[in-house]
Amino acid sequence: MRKKRKSLWRRVNENTYIQATSGLLLPMAFGVILFALWQTEVLHKIFHTDTFTLPVPTRILSVIVDNPDKVIQNVVATVTVAVIGLVIGSVIGYLVAIIATLFPRWGGGGLSIVAACNAIPIVALAPVMTNWTKDVSKDANIRSMVAKTLVVMIICIASMSVNAYRGLTELKPFSLDLMKSYNAKRRTVFFKLRIPNSVPYIFTALRVSIPASVITAVVSEYFAEYVIGVGRQIRENIVLAQYTAAWGYITVASLIGIVMYVILMIAERILLRRR
Amino acid sequence: MKQSTKKIIATLCMATMSMSTVTACSSSETVEEKVTNAPEAAATVAAKSSMSSEDIIKKAAGEGKVGNWGLGNEYEIKALLTKYGQGTDYLSQAFDMDGFDDDSITLASAMTYNELGLVKNSYDGGYKYGDTVGTIDMNDEGVAMLEDNIFCTKDFATKNPNTVKAFLYASVKGWKYACEHPDEAAKIVYEYGSSVSGEHQSYMANEVQKLVTNDTKGKAVSQIGAMNEEAMQQTLDLAKKYIKLDDSAATDKLSKFTLDNVRDNSYMDAVSASKDGKFGTPEKTDVSIQLKWLPQAQFMGYYVALKLGYYDEVGLKVNIVPGGGDISETTAVNNGTVDFGVTWVSNLIAANAGGMNLLEVAQIYQRSGLVLVYKLDSFK
Repeated sequence: MRKKRKSLWRRVNENTYIQATSGLLLPMAFGVILFALWQTEVLHKIFHTDTFTLPVPTRILSVIVDNPDKVIQNVVATVTVAVIGLVIGSVIGYLVAIIATLFPRWGGGGLSIVAACNAIPIVALAPVMTNWTKDVSKDANIRSMVAKTLVVMIICIASMSVNAYRGLTELKPFSLDLMKSYNAKRRTVFFKLRIPNSVPYIFTALRVSIPASVITAVVSEYFAEYVIGVGRQIRENIVLAQYTAAWGYITVASLIGIVMYVILMIAERILLRRR
Repeated sequence: MKQSTKKIIATLCMATMSMSTVTACSSSETVEEKVTNAPEAAATVAAKSSMSSEDIIKKAAGEGKVGNWGLGNEYEIKALLTKYGQGTDYLSQAFDMDGFDDDSITLASAMTYNELGLVKNSYDGGYKYGDTVGTIDMNDEGVAMLEDNIFCTKDFATKNPNTVKAFLYASVKGWKYACEHPDEAAKIVYEYGSSVSGEHQSYMANEVQKLVTNDTKGKAVSQIGAMNEEAMQQTLDLAKKYIKLDDSAATDKLSKFTLDNVRDNSYMDAVSASKDGKFGTPEKTDVSIQLKWLPQAQFMGYYVALKLGYYDEVGLKVNIVPGGGDISETTAVNNGTVDFGVTWVSNLIAANAGGMNLLEVAQIYQRSGLVLVYKLDSFK
C-alpha cells in the first residue's frame, strides 16, 4: 500500500524548527503590527482617542531619551526600594515559614494571619508607614525610603512565607517515610529533605512577589514624603496633564518589572537546571 | 480538642497584639495633643517672631523643612525659595497638617481659607494654635500666582459664546452675593456637601471673600471675575520659570506662551458691560462645571448662584461636579466630560503646554491664597 503523503500544512505544523521560530515570531509580529498601528494613529481611531491622551510611541520614547539623568535617578530610587524590600521581605518570609514548620501545631494558623497581610491594600499601608517612620531619620529622602521599603517588605513576606511553608511541608509522597525508615533525625530531614524541596516554591513565590514589589514601590511613592521615584513622576505628570511624560514613566515602570522578571527567569533556569 | 484550644489561644494572642498596636497609636496621639496645647499658653507672651521672613525661610530651607503638596501647587514656593537664594527642594506635604503639628515640617504650606484655619482654630478638626503661629504671604513677597479661575476649551467658547457669557454673568452675580453675605453662603454650600464642618465652612467663606474682592496689592477689586493684566502676567512669568516639564515639545511651547495662549478677556468684558445678563439665546442650556476640590466655600459663588436661581435667570441648567483627590479638572474639561472648570492659572498653563486647548474666561481669585505657616516658637 502506498504511503499517503502528508499535506504541506501538516508537515509545516509538525516541524519542530518551524514550531520554535513561529512561537517566537508570531507574538513579535503581533507586537510590531500593534506598534505600527499605534504609530500611524490607526489605533487612536479604533479606540476613539487622540494623540494627546495616548501619544505615539516615538513621542513617548523621546521623553525618556531627552531626560536620561532624571529618568535614571527615579529608576534607581524605585528599584532600590523594590529590591531591598523584596530581599528583606523574602528572607523574613522564609524564616517565618521555617518557624511555622518547626512548630506545626501553631504553624498553619499563624501563617494564615501573616498571609492576611497580603490582603491589606497598599494604599492603606503606605500612608501608615509614612507616619510611622517619621522619627527614623532627619533626612526626608532616607525617611521615605524606609517607609516605602517597609511596605514592599510586608507585601513580600506574605507571599514568600505561604509558598515556602508549602515547600517545607508538602513533601514528595513516601520521601518522609523513606527518611524515617533510615531513622533520620529531624535535623537531617530538615536540611536534606525540606529545604531542597522548598527551592522551587521559593521561585514560585518570587514570580508573584517581583511584579508585586515593583507595583508596591510605585504605589507607595504616591504617599511618600520625598518627591522621587517612577510612580511619583507618573502621578505628578498626570495631575499636571502631561500625558506624554506620564506615558514615558509608565513605560519605564513596565520595563523595570519586565527586566526584574527576566533576571529571575534566568536565575531559575540556572539554579533549577538539574531538576 | 487540645489543638483547637491552642489555636484559639494563638488567635487571641494575635488579636491582643493587633489591639495593642492600635491603642499604642492612639496613645501617641494623645501625647501629641498635649504637646500642641502647651505652646498656646506660652505664645500669648511672645506675640510675634523676632526673625524676618527672609531669615525664617533661610533657616527652614537650610534644615530642609519647607513643605508643599506638590502636584502643581509648588511654583510659588519654588519662586520664594529662589528669591532668597535657596534650593527649590521641598517636602511632600500631606493634605492634613499633622506634619506641621509634629514639627517634621516647620514651614508648611497652607491656604488662608483652609489649612490656616485648621491650624489656628479650635473647632472640630482644628489644631488650636490660635495666635501662636505666623505666616509668610506670597502676595507680600511678590511671588503670587493667581488661583481659582473659570475656564473651558477654546472650542467650546467659540461655539457657545452666549452660553459662556450667561454662565459667567450668573456666576459672578453669585460670587458678588456670596462675598457680601459670606456666612449665608457658607450655609448654602454646607447644604450641597459637607466635606468640612459648618464652622470651618463659615471661616472659609470669610477668607475666600478677601481673596475675591482684593487684588495682589491689597486694593479693592472693581469687577469680580475680571482679569488683572499685571497679576496674570506675573503668574505666567513665574509659571514659565518654575514649571519644569520632561516633554521637550511641551517645554518649547511653554517658553513661547503669551497671555493670549491662556486667556480671553472678551467674555468678561461683555459681562461687565451687561446690565441685565441678556446675551442672546444660549447655544447650550445644560452645562456643568468641574470644581477643583470637594464642595466647600472655596467655590461658594457657584453654589449661591445655583441656590438663588441666578443660573435659571439666564436660562441655564447648571450641574456642579465636585472634584477631590487626583481628579484633574483640566482633563475633565478637555475631554468634554464637563463644560467649565475651576483650576489654578498655573495648572491651565501647564495643561496647554502639554497639548490641551483650554481658555481662561474669568479670574475669580484676584489674590494668592497661599501662605507659609510657622510656629512662632520654632523661629525665635
